[in-house]
Amino acid sequence: MHDALVAAFAGSSWPLALLIYLQIGWAILRPTGPFWGRLATVVGWPVEMVQRLSGATGLPYIFLIPNMIVFGLFTFAPLFINMGFSVTEGQSINFADRAWAGDDNLQRLLSETQIDTGGENREDDKFMAAVYDTAIFVIFQVPIMIVVALMTALALNRDIKGRGLWRAVFFYPVMLSPVVVGFLWTLILKRQGALSQTLINWGWISEPIQWLTDPSWTMFWSVFVYTWAHLGFYMLILLAGLQAIPRDVYEAAEMDGTPAWRQLTRITIPLLAPTLLVVTVLSLIKAVQAFEELYAMSVRWISLVSYIFDTSGLRGQPTANGLGIAATASLLVAVVLIILSLLQVYLSSRANK
Amino acid sequence: MKGAFKTTKTVALATTILAGASVAQADEITFLCYQDGNECDVIGEMIPAFTEATGHTVKMDTVGYDVIRDQLENQLQTDAAPDVARVTNLGGLNQYYLDLAPYVDTAAWEANYGATLPWFRAPGGEDKGVYGWMTQLTVTGPYVNVSLFDDAGVDMPGEGATWDDWAAALMEIKDATGILGGLAIDRTAHRIAGPAFSYGAKFFDDAGNPILVDDGFRKFAETFVGWHKSGLMPAEGWPAGSGTQYRNAAPLFQSGDVAMHMSGSWMINNYAANITDFDWKAVPAPCGDGGCGAMPGGAALTAFKSTKSPEAAAAFIDFMASTENAEKFAVETNNISANQALQASGIDYAKADPAVAAALSTFASNAGKAAETTPQAYTFQGYNKNFVIYGVIPDYLTQAITGEITLDEALAAIDADVAAKIAE
Repeated sequence: MHDALVAAFAGSSWPLALLIYLQIGWAILRPTGPFWGRLATVVGWPVEMVQRLSGATGLPYIFLIPNMIVFGLFTFAPLFINMGFSVTEGQSINFADRAWAGDDNLQRLLSETQIDTGGENREDDKFMAAVYDTAIFVIFQVPIMIVVALMTALALNRDIKGRGLWRAVFFYPVMLSPVVVGFLWTLILKRQGALSQTLINWGWISEPIQWLTDPSWTMFWSVFVYTWAHLGFYMLILLAGLQAIPRDVYEAAEMDGTPAWRQLTRITIPLLAPTLLVVTVLSLIKAVQAFEELYAMSVRWISLVSYIFDTSGLRGQPTANGLGIAATASLLVAVVLIILSLLQVYLSSRANK
Repeated sequence: MKGAFKTTKTVALATTILAGASVAQADEITFLCYQDGNECDVIGEMIPAFTEATGHTVKMDTVGYDVIRDQLENQLQTDAAPDVARVTNLGGLNQYYLDLAPYVDTAAWEANYGATLPWFRAPGGEDKGVYGWMTQLTVTGPYVNVSLFDDAGVDMPGEGATWDDWAAALMEIKDATGILGGLAIDRTAHRIAGPAFSYGAKFFDDAGNPILVDDGFRKFAETFVGWHKSGLMPAEGWPAGSGTQYRNAAPLFQSGDVAMHMSGSWMINNYAANITDFDWKAVPAPCGDGGCGAMPGGAALTAFKSTKSPEAAAAFIDFMASTENAEKFAVETNNISANQALQASGIDYAKADPAVAAALSTFASNAGKAAETTPQAYTFQGYNKNFVIYGVIPDYLTQAITGEITLDEALAAIDADVAAKIAE
């Protein structure tokens, strides 16, 4: 026994360290009660210490700290870096090499005259074109998607044959990577793609149509593909909302002989309103940020995110003040999104009263 | 990885001991390389000889060109850069370069690489530094699908033919064979600079300030938009891109969808390896009122100020730049050497495929003719903000092609936007 102990301490220092650790715990906490309880206290004395110091209400915050550090590092730090870029100028991403610029980047982005050259500014035209095109996209895409998602959810909430399969079919595109969606549809929509060739074979058109390059078609297909790719997600949320509506409300309505359409407009839609609000806010924010699928399809219009991405110069050619201009543009978009979301929440809460 | 690291260290140590007192210190340098063909592989094969000669070791990392183009400058700005890299934005990265002059024989460098050293230097003419070794010269120029010419029974325009001659011949092929388009050009202003020079675009005023839109450029832009309207150039090329996006037209040429691809000498090895179902060749750069324009350029090995082993980094570049090694590199990679001694003596590409050898000599003569007839091509290549201009032009020209704006609006916009993007 003695030899074994000596051997254990001779080989490495950790058994000694453990002993000291346990003794410190014993000395500080002086545990009482049954043996196993005392052992647990002594082994986990740092946690017990923190608990005693912080009290019962403070403890959750201490457990949140690691998460908050990671979250702060990857969410808030980029936010502040972005703000930093928007008020400084230069080509470098290193703040030590960037000079204070105040609102110069805002002027470079929005004013009619370019402040560095005194000539005509092109950036405001490009930015406004991106705002305008993105607005058109959002105005069509969001309502269309909500209506189609709602109709799909209503249909798939009924007792139809192969309901599980249909739900999977509509949800499937959500699981595809946006880049895969983009390339998949490019194969269908390019000049020798499946769509043009099929239409030619049917004799509907004589020349292949450049669905993605033709300015009159590119927006249509952007809305279509984006809706196709994201429909399943919103359908799923609405389906969950529909299933939360108590059955007895419908049973009571049926006993009163309420027609189906009236059940939809007077029971389903009002009771689904909170879910619809969530879906609207989420899809609106997502549509303003639309990028991956559109980029992979190379559509012929520039969305806000691709404008910011392009202008920043982080890919391809960095320009004199591109980074600051892009950061300013992204802050403007963020402000507009916050206002839109707040407005929507306010309107719906007023409607509920 | 760690094992490999350890091995190189051991090798370095052993070599140092073997080399004895002649080597003061053996350093390991990091080298970020990209390749169009087999360039990095060839450099990799030459590294053991460098280690033997100097004791220094090189840790090479081969990446895609995107990494060099999109990330290297950010790495340099945040001191996370490699010691040596293979770059193409020669003038644009000037502020980060390590001046090799204190470590190398500058007279030899001036004699062998005098023509390309200014491409790396800061504007103004006061900078006399030696910053990098041009691994190869590249030059833009067209490739044609010879089989399509034969199938359509169209005579190929010869030496000295103009762009208009070529456009007519290519249109004839398109109409006869029903291919997507006659001509495809990569979507970057770098590839249209040569044709624009041919139409008389000067790109600089007499004082050396960049002016893009002059009569020659306007004439070219009109023709270029016209090529899209008439269907000579396919909608899959420039009009399919937006913003500053680069689009490589090589897939269109490789699939036989177009009869001509305006690209450059860096594609030779790729085409030699991958085109099997038709005959292709490089043809002389088409001419015009302004000359026979082609854009020279190339990739270079440069070292950066942030390196902790400047001596080893400089020694590595100096080793690679020696006439003997430059010749080996040119022969193994089938590239045009920037070494002037080799240019004078000629390089024997005996090992190369005859098509490759013929293409190399066509491109070399394009470079020579451009130097004579359109010297602004060399000035533009040495201009430190040329990469910014490459990115600005495609957006507006594309909008003019698709009819979103008129050509006049596009040209005015190019003028205003280039001025803003290059403003200090």
